[in-house]
Amino acid sequence: MQDKIELRKISHHFDTTAEQIILFRDLALEIKTGEIISIVGPSGAGKSSLLSIAAGLEKPANGSVHFNIDGSEVDELALRANSGFIFQQFHLMPELDALSNLALPLRLKGNRNAFNIAAAWLEKVGLQDRAKHRPHQLSGGEQQRIAIARAFVSEPRFIFADEPTGNLDMKTSENVAGLMFDFARDSGCGLVIVTHSMRLAMLADKSLQLSDRKLEAIK
Amino acid sequence: MTPFSLILENVRHDLRASDGKLAIMTQAALIFFLLTLSLSSASVQQYLAKNLLQMLGSDLVIEQHGTLTAEQEAKIRAAAPKVSKTELVGITLTHGPNWERVQLKQVDDAYPLQGTLMVGSSPAAEKTPAAKGPGIGEIWLGPRLATKLEASVGDQISLAGTAHTVTAILFHEPDRIMEGHSVAYRAMIKAGSAAPDAFDTSGRRQRFLIEADTEARTSLEAWTKENLPAATLIKKQGGRHPLAGFWKRTENFLGLASVILFFMAAVAMDMTNRRWLVQMRYRLSLYSSFGISSSTVLTMAGLQWFIGFMLSLGVAGIFTVAAHYFIVGELQAFFPGIEGGWSGDAVAKTVMLTFGLLLALQVPALIQLKRASILDLIRSAPEGAYTWLRLLWGLIAVSGLAAAYSDNLLLTGLMLGAIGMALVLMIFLTWATVAVGDKWGAGRAGFVPFAFFFMRQRLFAKSAQVLGLGLCALLLLFTLMLMRDLSGMMESYARHHDGNLLVSEAQSDQMADIEAWAKKTGSDFKQLRPFVSAKLIRVNELALADYMKKPSDTLSTLKRPIRLSWSEQMPTNNTLSGGTWWPSDTRDWQQISTEPEVMTDLGLSYGDTLTYQINGRSYSFTLVASHSYKPGGGSITFWFQVPTAARAQIEADTRFMGSMELPETAWSELAALWQQHPTLSLVSLRELTERLDNMLGLVIKLTSGYAAMVLLLAMFVLIASSKGFEADDQRKNGLLMSMGLKRGDCLKLSTYDWAITAIIAATGAVAGTWIAGQLMYEAQFGLAYKPDPLWIGGTIGLMVMAVCGVGVLTCMRSLTTSVRDLLAT
Repeated sequence: MQDKIELRKISHHFDTTAEQIILFRDLALEIKTGEIISIVGPSGAGKSSLLSIAAGLEKPANGSVHFNIDGSEVDELALRANSGFIFQQFHLMPELDALSNLALPLRLKGNRNAFNIAAAWLEKVGLQDRAKHRPHQLSGGEQQRIAIARAFVSEPRFIFADEPTGNLDMKTSENVAGLMFDFARDSGCGLVIVTHSMRLAMLADKSLQLSDRKLEAIK
Repeated sequence: MTPFSLILENVRHDLRASDGKLAIMTQAALIFFLLTLSLSSASVQQYLAKNLLQMLGSDLVIEQHGTLTAEQEAKIRAAAPKVSKTELVGITLTHGPNWERVQLKQVDDAYPLQGTLMVGSSPAAEKTPAAKGPGIGEIWLGPRLATKLEASVGDQISLAGTAHTVTAILFHEPDRIMEGHSVAYRAMIKAGSAAPDAFDTSGRRQRFLIEADTEARTSLEAWTKENLPAATLIKKQGGRHPLAGFWKRTENFLGLASVILFFMAAVAMDMTNRRWLVQMRYRLSLYSSFGISSSTVLTMAGLQWFIGFMLSLGVAGIFTVAAHYFIVGELQAFFPGIEGGWSGDAVAKTVMLTFGLLLALQVPALIQLKRASILDLIRSAPEGAYTWLRLLWGLIAVSGLAAAYSDNLLLTGLMLGAIGMALVLMIFLTWATVAVGDKWGAGRAGFVPFAFFFMRQRLFAKSAQVLGLGLCALLLLFTLMLMRDLSGMMESYARHHDGNLLVSEAQSDQMADIEAWAKKTGSDFKQLRPFVSAKLIRVNELALADYMKKPSDTLSTLKRPIRLSWSEQMPTNNTLSGGTWWPSDTRDWQQISTEPEVMTDLGLSYGDTLTYQINGRSYSFTLVASHSYKPGGGSITFWFQVPTAARAQIEADTRFMGSMELPETAWSELAALWQQHPTLSLVSLRELTERLDNMLGLVIKLTSGYAAMVLLLAMFVLIASSKGFEADDQRKNGLLMSMGLKRGDCLKLSTYDWAITAIIAATGAVAGTWIAGQLMYEAQFGLAYKPDPLWIGGTIGLMVMAVCGVGVLTCMRSLTTSVRDLLAT
């Protein structure tokens, strides 16, 4: 049975000292493995919050979220054990070289072949000659390629990407997005991307726009 | 490849960074200090325990100042099959022109009861066992005494008018334990070898060595408690060494000192923790994003901290071994034969205690780490409330340690109170200065207003920095000031003694001879005060041991007889501290005045009843006043004073204490006076100064070692503080340079920032030191608090310069990186 995440009638807001800012109301969304979904929308619309709720990082103010893995409903902890993340700021460990950064998730899960698998992935992203380089010795695009490989290396069921190309130029963005989409399709995982780039969004299987507290399909 | 190898790798990475090194060094310094203290204490305790088993010389010892009645002695002899009676007295022995103050032991035929006497024919001769003590007309001298008096076997020594022949050099007495840590010169004669009244002095002690079975021991113990309240009883089985209390007190004092060190270490660690926490949160958030459960990442953080602790322990252990053997070497002078070694119990206890305390300091950080989430990587979380939680928790942990360690709750309370007040003041000063400065700077151009503006933006972080530096400066300043003033006081006490000869004790019948001798030699009496020897046995009808269970200096002194003096009017060198001094012609003789320090230590109030045993009888007095020493009018003052009317009610010999001024020619005549009255206790100022210099030497060694530790930790705090804000400074400078400011301008701005921080911290530290001085000097150390503005100003100036210097250096280093790097941070 296909793994999936269901968001049912969810609403969310945050409070400031002066007022309550409502992000969205009564949204519904289904995310399945083997599917790439992109979410676009203006700044402050609540895209990152929606991503956090879908990934089980945050609870919605109203509504419910259901996670199904291997045919049974699981909690957010079990989902997280089967998820990967890609961030706008890359978030590589500054003290580790490229290869060690890639091997990190595997080592944490006790995989004895962590470095061999990481080396293969480094080759997949075309950075095999940068294995011993630290993040500050790499360009933004190179750092994000490693971050993408790191998200996929432990073969998660879902990957959540928050503005993955937000810090990159257009050419590099396309390159990085291509890698991300290829890996997702090859692995059959579910990929959710939050982005400002309409170009990137339209490459996904399904594109949604979050604006005026509503989520609408644009593709 | 497992998470454990990753933990080890993280530790290795952290250790390469200066923060990691600093945290390990701070922990190691603290563990080193506490471990060295415990190991050295354990060596002393082991020495004392071994001593008790091997050197008590009997199953039970009863010791009493003064003499027991015939019935009391008969009771002891009837209760046990074997009893040996010895008497100890402090006298001055003369041989030719040489004289020395000696602890003379008079022994009977039953001596020694258990163990063996060791004697020889010269101080360098081989030791041989002796079955009995010396015979009538014989005297045995300790090896050091024989050398000092230049006396050999066969020489004659006159003792209270009776000639005694030196027949042996005395190496070892099996009942040596009762001498405690005394390094007094020793001699031994047979009881009855000199006239019975030849050694009548208030310091005279009778000691009964008893060999008895359990039943007899129990019955004797109960009988002694009831009938000889002033006696000391020591038993081999289940007993405590007479020095155990003294050592426990020393340990407690050192404990309080270690609390101060722990405070400083806590400040340094809190500052390094701030960055460790940021790094760990980041690391753990990332691990969470790989699907690792929060309990696993928290375990990893805990394990990483534990490895750091073990590493600190290893480093500290190496230094501890060296320091421990050095200290044991120094202690040989007090505890001959003491041995160094690893005491598993002491090490385990200290390691567990340090582990617990360091872990306690880590608790707020671990709570914060528990909340580390992937969300932190998507949007940054504020730290605010946790800063206060961390500070508060640290303060609670260290206060708990202080309360557990110290035997003097008042002193600890005052110290913590002063620290608390200083902290509140520093918080207020920081907020007020920054707020006023920012308001003043609004609309003004220049770097100073700009510095205030930036400080206001970082008020939380700035407050933490000021508190850390200020607390460290306060502890450093107070420790240095107290050490300086205590040494100064000890020195001035010795140097400003009026007269050059202290009459430590003279009996009434010796006074006529002393006066005649003084007239003959042209010596002058400067001061002379009468007293009787009295032992405080009860407070408000409660036995002293039951009334006061915690060891203290006062209690230690009160375990021995003290000198009770009388006076109609307040002596000229005393001043009334509280209560009401009796009218000069009062008939109500049962009134007493004591020093405020004694009142505080014993927890006495006016109206309390103090019962003394004087010459075998009990006398009760009501506490009505307290008096303290005031300079001028002589240096001799007494802890306890009663009205003159009391003298007529007390059946005891009057003794005198005073001081004399001897012309140079009179010194050589002293031997004649002592030959006539060997129990006469006179101490020359030169000798007093020498004794004091020896003690000062030891105090200076101890305090220098301690000051070195305080300075080392102060340095760690300073480095931690400047490193802690390096990233902030770097970001700020990058921003400013991107706006067109020059490097010199950034440096200027940074200097203002550090100078303002240092001045606020220094002001808080001075105020805190002043509060601590006001609270503690008078009450706890008997010192008048007169801060030297020049000294304080100079120390503060140095501190401000050091803080600014380190801050500016850090800033200069961060400025050497390019604008691109600065902006990238």
